[in-house]
Amino acid sequence: MQEKNRGLALFTSLVFLFLLGPLIIISFTSFEPGSVLKFPPEGFSWRWYENIFNVEMFMTTFKTSMFVSLFGNLLALLLGIPAAYALSRFDFRGKGILNGIFISPVLIPGIVMGFAMLKYVIVVYNLPIYAGLLVGHTVLMLPFIIRVIASSLSNFDFAIEEAALSLGAGRLETFFKVVLPNIRSGIIAAILIAFLESFNNVDISVFMTGPGVSTLPIQMLTYVENNFDPTIAAISVLLMILTAILMFIIERLMGLSYFTKR
Amino acid sequence: MALLTLDNVSVAYDNQYILQNFNLNIEKGQLISLLGPSGCGKTTTLRLIAGFLEAKDGRFMFEGKDYTRVPVNKRNFGFVFQSYALFPHLSVFDNVAFGLRLRKINETEVKTRVQQILEVVSLGGYEKRFPKELSGGQRQRVAIARALVIQPDLLLFDEPLSNLDANLRINMRVEIRRIQQELGITTVYVSHDQEECFSISDQVAIMNKGVIEQLDDPATIFKYPKTEFIARFIGFTNFIDFAERTEQNGEIGLRVGDHHFTASKNPGTANPSGKKCAMRPDDLLVTTEESAELGMNRLRGTVKVSTFLGRSYQYVVETELGDFTVNQEMETPYKTGLNVNLLFPKDKVVLVD
Amino acid sequence: MRKTGLYLLLLPGVLFLTLFMVIPIVMTIASTFYQDGSFTIQGYLQFLTDAYFLKIMLTTLQVSLVTTIACVLIGFPAAYYISKLGPRKKGILLALAIFPLLTSSVVRSFSWMIILGKKGLLNSSLLAIGLIDKPLEILYTPTAMMIGLIHLFLPLIIITLVGVMENIDPDLLKAAESLGASKLTAFWKVIVPLSVPGLIIGSILVFVGSLTAYTTPALLGGKQRVISTFLYQNAITLNDWHLASVIATIMIVITFVVIYFMNKLATKLNPKG
Repeated sequence: MQEKNRGLALFTSLVFLFLLGPLIIISFTSFEPGSVLKFPPEGFSWRWYENIFNVEMFMTTFKTSMFVSLFGNLLALLLGIPAAYALSRFDFRGKGILNGIFISPVLIPGIVMGFAMLKYVIVVYNLPIYAGLLVGHTVLMLPFIIRVIASSLSNFDFAIEEAALSLGAGRLETFFKVVLPNIRSGIIAAILIAFLESFNNVDISVFMTGPGVSTLPIQMLTYVENNFDPTIAAISVLLMILTAILMFIIERLMGLSYFTKR
Repeated sequence: MALLTLDNVSVAYDNQYILQNFNLNIEKGQLISLLGPSGCGKTTTLRLIAGFLEAKDGRFMFEGKDYTRVPVNKRNFGFVFQSYALFPHLSVFDNVAFGLRLRKINETEVKTRVQQILEVVSLGGYEKRFPKELSGGQRQRVAIARALVIQPDLLLFDEPLSNLDANLRINMRVEIRRIQQELGITTVYVSHDQEECFSISDQVAIMNKGVIEQLDDPATIFKYPKTEFIARFIGFTNFIDFAERTEQNGEIGLRVGDHHFTASKNPGTANPSGKKCAMRPDDLLVTTEESAELGMNRLRGTVKVSTFLGRSYQYVVETELGDFTVNQEMETPYKTGLNVNLLFPKDKVVLVD
Repeated sequence: MRKTGLYLLLLPGVLFLTLFMVIPIVMTIASTFYQDGSFTIQGYLQFLTDAYFLKIMLTTLQVSLVTTIACVLIGFPAAYYISKLGPRKKGILLALAIFPLLTSSVVRSFSWMIILGKKGLLNSSLLAIGLIDKPLEILYTPTAMMIGLIHLFLPLIIITLVGVMENIDPDLLKAAESLGASKLTAFWKVIVPLSVPGLIIGSILVFVGSLTAYTTPALLGGKQRVISTFLYQNAITLNDWHLASVIATIMIVITFVVIYFMNKLATKLNPKG
């Protein structure tokens, strides 16, 4: 039996080597001093990290990505918090259908969503590309916001809300003074999870590019097509650091069980 | 005039009535319990009074004013929840101060009043604690203090003790009664535990299927239940359904088949339509003697089951009118199969609907 | 709570999604049946009769199927091992599985370009130890796509399965053993059937995910098209929006059919009924 466990342990180690190895390799190659990606690197240099800041498109698209992910997040919160609250708090006819609608953006293939939005949001509704990008990312984030907040509301005893009402608080006052403070960590986790989904998105953004408008992942894709220097590796390292920090905060706020539940 | 009146009130979910043409009057300063099995409508009544539910029809009058459409946060009623419903993110002090601050009372007075009320519920010194650091009983006291501090016009309790263990439950109900009487505050108390209700209430309303079957002081209900449902609910186990009821020589005559019973006139037999006799197991006697005893109705039967209860024996006696349960203290028990006489004291007979 | 209040809470979100998601998707589907103002199914006929299109379809399905099977076979034992660990070790391994999941797919696919390229890590190592004498052509083939997709979706199936396996009462295994089952039999008769719902959900996620993934095939597939890159090519490069809409509709239909039947299967196979 011990032996079988040892075999399993070895197998699992190999699985994790497969999962994390490439990410470690990419990190090493980012310090390559030469202009061709190599592993192991032939020296150590910050050169390609500096290069990120010299390529103007990286800076512009980074700003666009940040703006879209943060502002879209805000929009998704404004739309999503009331919806998550209504869906958790009340029973009413058509609740199942509404739940379905709010979750559907994760069910529809991203590339299909991107194309449909290009066709209608940009062409038919005639919104500027920047606005289309923002709208697309808001739609993308909404199900994550609603799901995480609804799951944190599912632990909330709504008698607490009634207690506040009976003590003289109005509905809105109750929400801000009693409900919101108690689901705060859920909301922050929702913001971070949605942010990562949006910031890393390719499927929708790839259709929403235009003169001077593009997101960082799309710019990275374009860059890879024409260059094979370690700049992308350097950006990758920065993105992984950002991911690790956000993931750490999410873990502190609500543990990682959100990811294992389905 | 009553402080609170529910006048022909109806409440329905999905077109299913929980309460229909419901009426209730409550006098100032009283503690009235709503008692009944789950689903009887007691919690609905309480939530209606609190304002969490809205009546479909009917009126809710309070101090002579129409409260039917007054929203919950404008009613100034204190509500104590089964789950305590303390604000997890606030300290004991801030929990209790919550209602006062909403009333824009200045912070010095908030402080005095919170301290005062925490003394009343014996929680002085706990101001800085958070709900999760308190025991169940302490949380309940905070919940009560929070409801009391706003000087509510009415205090409402929804099964406040059901999450506590048995000993604490007895202490807390004494405490609740003490505080209620000390402050003279009108209180509506909901529970499914009859001992709890009977021990703390001025009046008990026993509810069944959305209707109050009896509203009386606890002693009266205990001795003279008005309906079979209530009689069963408070421990009457023996029933005889008589066919005919007559009055003779200041007593009540009852007949079913060849069996004739008499019952004394008392509040328990005052119900003119009551033809069903209800008896507690403690009030019946089993005997092997044949001599007639004064003031007793008699019925022949056979001991079917005999169980030792500690202080007494419990018999199930089979008769022509069905099985009867009797609790009787005695040295040596009757054996199963023995032919006995069952005695029904005529002053213990209660007639119910 | 009055009805109007409820609607006020839900309305903004519903309107937003209707305007920017439901209408675009529904209209895209509807548009495939109209061309030049009259009803047509020409787009579908063209798609279903063109050998090139069908080959893309077939490659996509093959790649997705292999990816899903590989993920299940690799993920199941690993998930079982993780689920048996103490809370601390389990937490760390879960975190290490979730980290790649949250990392940009561009980064993850790009890392495989470094490894699988002509002068990449794999080829240079194999050449160095003399196992091969000329570089393998892996990058820009379906194999590269599969490797990239397995890397992309393996964490997903692992954490899904851990979530399910964690909830299996360990006493069940002991009970099975006390009834005479060997450890292996107990594993097959208890753990495997109770993991079926998680396995199916995990497989849906991986299969649908691989079927519709864009970044990985775009970076690792080279000229080899799959359905998602083909949609992009028609929409952006070739500007054939009618065909692109047909492909989009086919993708939606496949996605929902897979989800529907796998869900049916999950309910049917769920030992808890």
